[in-house]
Amino acid sequence: MSLHGGIPAAIEADVRHGERLEWWTLLWIGSVVVVMALVMGASQAMKSAVIEDMLSLIPAIVFLLSVHWERKRANPRFPFGYRRANSLAFLVAATALLSVGGFLVYESVTTLVRQEHPTVGGITLFGHTIWLGWLMMAALVYSVIPPLVLGRIKLPVAKRINDKVLHTDALMQKADWQTGLAAIAGITGIGLGWWWADASAALFIALSIIKDAVGALEQAVAELLDGTPRALDSNELADDAQALIAALKARFGDVEVRLRETGRYIAAEVDCRPPATIPTGAELMGDKAWRLASLSFRPE
Amino acid sequence: MRYPFALPILALLLAGCDGLPRDAAGTTERIERTHAVRVTVLPGTPDAHPALALLDAFAREHGARLTLVPIHGEHAHKALEDGEIDALVGHFAKTSPWQADIALSKPVARGEPDDKHHPVLRIARRNGENALILATDRLVAGSAR
Repeated sequence: MSLHGGIPAAIEADVRHGERLEWWTLLWIGSVVVVMALVMGASQAMKSAVIEDMLSLIPAIVFLLSVHWERKRANPRFPFGYRRANSLAFLVAATALLSVGGFLVYESVTTLVRQEHPTVGGITLFGHTIWLGWLMMAALVYSVIPPLVLGRIKLPVAKRINDKVLHTDALMQKADWQTGLAAIAGITGIGLGWWWADASAALFIALSIIKDAVGALEQAVAELLDGTPRALDSNELADDAQALIAALKARFGDVEVRLRETGRYIAAEVDCRPPATIPTGAELMGDKAWRLASLSFRPE
Repeated sequence: MRYPFALPILALLLAGCDGLPRDAAGTTERIERTHAVRVTVLPGTPDAHPALALLDAFAREHGARLTLVPIHGEHAHKALEDGEIDALVGHFAKTSPWQADIALSKPVARGEPDDKHHPVLRIARRNGENALILATDRLVAGSAR
């Protein structure tokens, strides 16, 4: 690892684990999209689920791209390296999550307002015509399992490597399996003659997705505007950032301390003369020392 | 509760497995009550007989008989959408501009033509009347065999 490029050894294994999880995500969710497309027929609910699944691939793709760029070394054209690619990826992932929520709200509200009665007819397989709804439900059950498993595995990894893109992707997987269950409820509702069930279930889930997406967008914007590092799952200041401010103040007195975040790394600026002995990252941040990428002193 | 959807879904599945799917506007129940399946044949459909025979079979299964409703071709699709008739027999392409507004069956008594813009004999049903749609889909599939 160099000063402005590469992955710190302390998190290299976890980052690789995150990459493997994202490749699995692309593979599994890709297979879900194919299966759903095969049985979607003329159902708007299923079309929405397929589009939602395709959009849900975006965070996984931008995570893989941002890690690829993070490993690149700084050069004369990019002297601070490419670590901010992670911040940019986070903005893209949050926007993708918001798009999914917005799309589902639009689809649900227009279906309810127009009182569209969804049609799910028969499909003939091996000489027997069965209700397509059963195949749709089977495909949806399949679509729920990968995101449920992958999302749960990703969350602790995202926390260990402090990766907001991976964390947003875990939220996207939550959105995936929830919309899958909502769609099963919706198809069942269609089967029972409740034309409004599908859209109502989707609307309920969409509002929860939008809430998560707006939170992620607030964090992404704060990061790009050099705000003090935020927690992974909220817009509150991160615990390790607050601890770092306290540690710097304890060491250098009541001075101004500014922190900003570039991807998963923190840059600290202290308004005092440089001390004779510069504290190490481990002294200031303990086992999260890898987070502290730079410490600068600004004399009066 | 961790999975708030699980129980309602399970309950719905167990309760509704037998009778799925049902009609959103209760067309099949109304047919059984009034003993009449209201059908319109679009003008320019000289080969409507196989489709009418299938609909007659459906009607008999439900203790009803066909009632032909004369509606001008221009208004027939709207009448089907509004539930004034239960089925519309005519020539429709697979990519018919009406396909989002009404539920088109597979071609009656023949396979799907290679040209998806080529109109062939089909039965159009009202969207959302999934029990009637599945029942007639089964009859159409049988006729193709």
